[in-house]
Amino acid sequence: MKELRVTVAENVPIAKNVYKMRFLLPEKTEGLACGKFVNISVGDGAHLLRRPIAICGYDETSVTICYQLKGAGTRAMSEKKVGDTLSCVLPLGNGFVVEEQEKRIALIGGGVGIFPMLSVLREYAGLGKEFYSYIGFRNKDAVCMEEEFSALSQELHIVTDDGSFGDRGNAVSAFFAGIDAANPDVIFACGPTPMLRALKTELSARKVNIPCYVSLEERMGCGIGACLVCVCKRAGGKGNARVCKDGPVFAIGEVEI
Amino acid sequence: MANLKVNICGVELKNPVIAASGTFGFGKEFNEIYDIGVLGGVSTKGLTLEPRLGNPVPRIAEGYGVILNAVGLQNPGLDVFLEEDLDFLKSKNTAVIANVAGKTLDDYAGICARLDGKVDMVELNISCPNVKCGGMAFGIRPESVKEVTSVAKSALKRTPLIVKLSPNVESIAVNALAAQEGGADCVSLINTLTGMVIDIERRRPLIANNTGGVSGAGIKPIAVRMVYEVCRAVDIPVIGMGGITCAEDALEFIIAGAAAVQVGTANFTDTLAMPKIIEGLSRWLDAHGVKDINEMRGTLVLN
Ligand SMILES: Cc1cc2nc3c(=O)[nH]c(=O)nc-3n(C[C@H](O)[C@H](O)[C@H](O)COP(=O)(O)OP(=O)(O)OC[C@H]3O[C@@H](n4cnc5c(N)ncnc54)[C@H](O)[C@@H]3O)c2cc1C
Ligand SMILES: Cc1cc2nc3c(=O)[nH]c(=O)nc-3n(C[C@H](O)[C@H](O)[C@H](O)COP(=O)(O)O)c2cc1C
Ligand code: FES
Repeated sequence: MKELRVTVAENVPIAKNVYKMRFLLPEKTEGLACGKFVNISVGDGAHLLRRPIAICGYDETSVTICYQLKGAGTRAMSEKKVGDTLSCVLPLGNGFVVEEQEKRIALIGGGVGIFPMLSVLREYAGLGKEFYSYIGFRNKDAVCMEEEFSALSQELHIVTDDGSFGDRGNAVSAFFAGIDAANPDVIFACGPTPMLRALKTELSARKVNIPCYVSLEERMGCGIGACLVCVCKRAGGKGNARVCKDGPVFAIGEVEI
Repeated sequence: MANLKVNICGVELKNPVIAASGTFGFGKEFNEIYDIGVLGGVSTKGLTLEPRLGNPVPRIAEGYGVILNAVGLQNPGLDVFLEEDLDFLKSKNTAVIANVAGKTLDDYAGICARLDGKVDMVELNISCPNVKCGGMAFGIRPESVKEVTSVAKSALKRTPLIVKLSPNVESIAVNALAAQEGGADCVSLINTLTGMVIDIERRRPLIANNTGGVSGAGIKPIAVRMVYEVCRAVDIPVIGMGGITCAEDALEFIIAGAAAVQVGTANFTDTLAMPKIIEGLSRWLDAHGVKDINEMRGTLVLN
């Protein structure tokens, strides 16, 4: 991980209140991978904390992130123009890893949780894996990246909370409706806490024994593991884990959700 | 190049810039970004005798130009620090300051006794609630500041004692004097100011603990004023902190009388803040023809 001054190459809306930003790296950067995140400064003196955003895509010279406008920080980010520079610490945390023997992968993404799922698809495209993707949005205005998901997935199920695009429902119920047909070797998920909690509860209720990894969110201070601000509880009373350093990706049984 | 070395109660620091407790862990993570051996010193995350899990999350929120935190002293406990972290910090050739906390006078005595001779300095965080005193922090009343200081001091035969002062008090200068009377070798200030941020949609405080400690750029004028008042009140060295983000900020504290400074929240905004401050100090002194940073200390001229 390192701190770099990156240059905005693209910063455009891709759905209602969701922006895609691609920025250029000033130097070669080791360790970029799906499921890891960047901690980006919003570029003004008022906001002292960086914003943690998942890596959605990357190549040798640039990184792409997709972010939803939530508060003043993401709004300030959306005002950045091509050529503007921002301070960015990257790459951070542990990402998603598909093991050699895992051929069939289920991806479950809700809301902005779809972006790390897309990073998995992009990283493992063309490596002989089959992806079964279940992605959920609030409504049709929020739907984005569906074409890329469709192009890279064996099967894609899109659902919305209000049924205005795809089926009505959430990504977790869509996954359980398709679990037998997909028969995945491993499950990756990212989304709001209630979604991940529902996934955990349902997996254990159905006694599903497939390895499952989830990406968690928590408010952060340093973003690099030093301040103990971003903790979650390890399962079985084994103390706290740092979301920024020990995660954000955890085995679903390893942490309390 | 100007001299940046400073000496605080017999401990030589290669420069006056120290990482503030709680923002830097035990140094390992920041050392992945830069060599922390460039720092004057590192004050560790607050240590207690037993491991502590800290407060529920969220533990942090933002205000304009400030942040609030309520980590609640999560730390692995003294034993783990001694076994797993101390050797690493010592190997970096930077002054190691153990920041310690406790709930009772016995806690403070016990932890100081075990650290005596093992670190360069001990920094007493006295902002924690004193269980035997109805939960009021040791650091509030001057009498209890003096008492906890003298208890800690008698457990420290070889290692100098810094008492870290809380700004949430009637008079920080009076408390500084109480620490000096209790036997402190040095005082550091300021710890965080108590604050609150409310989520108006949920009508709840954003931080799980409801209140949190305010730190960062926005608190600097308050911190500078308090450091100025304390420097006038005591004879022992003073370490200043609160909102320092650049070399010019650090110089304000030094001109007000501080012998060294600590940098906390700025490490979050800019992971390279401290190396930049050290370089900036050197550049500023050279540009102004000042040969030694110690010549800047306490040179404040009042209007
Ligand atoms: C590992 C990780 C990956 C993430 N990836 C993405 C992503 O790819 N796309 C996306 O849109 N969002 C993502 N988020 C959430 C994103 O960090 C927040 O939406 C964003 O920080 C909000 O900033 P703001 O200034 O707009 O909101 P404000 O509410 O004004 O922010 C105030 C403070 O709270 C923090 N904060 C607020 N909401 C969250 C949250 N949900 N998680 C963590 N910190 C928060 C902010 O960082 C800031 O410090 C991710 C969060 C984490 C922890
Ligand atoms: C996340 C966080 C954790 C902290 N933990 C401690 C601590 O354990 N012990 C302590 O004495 N001070 C602690 N502090 C206070 C800082 O050391 C410092 O006094 C304060 O933040 C003011 O300096 P700053 O404005 O440069 O951050 C903490 C501050 C922050 C932001
Ligand atoms: S944000 Fe500092 S430890 Fe995770």
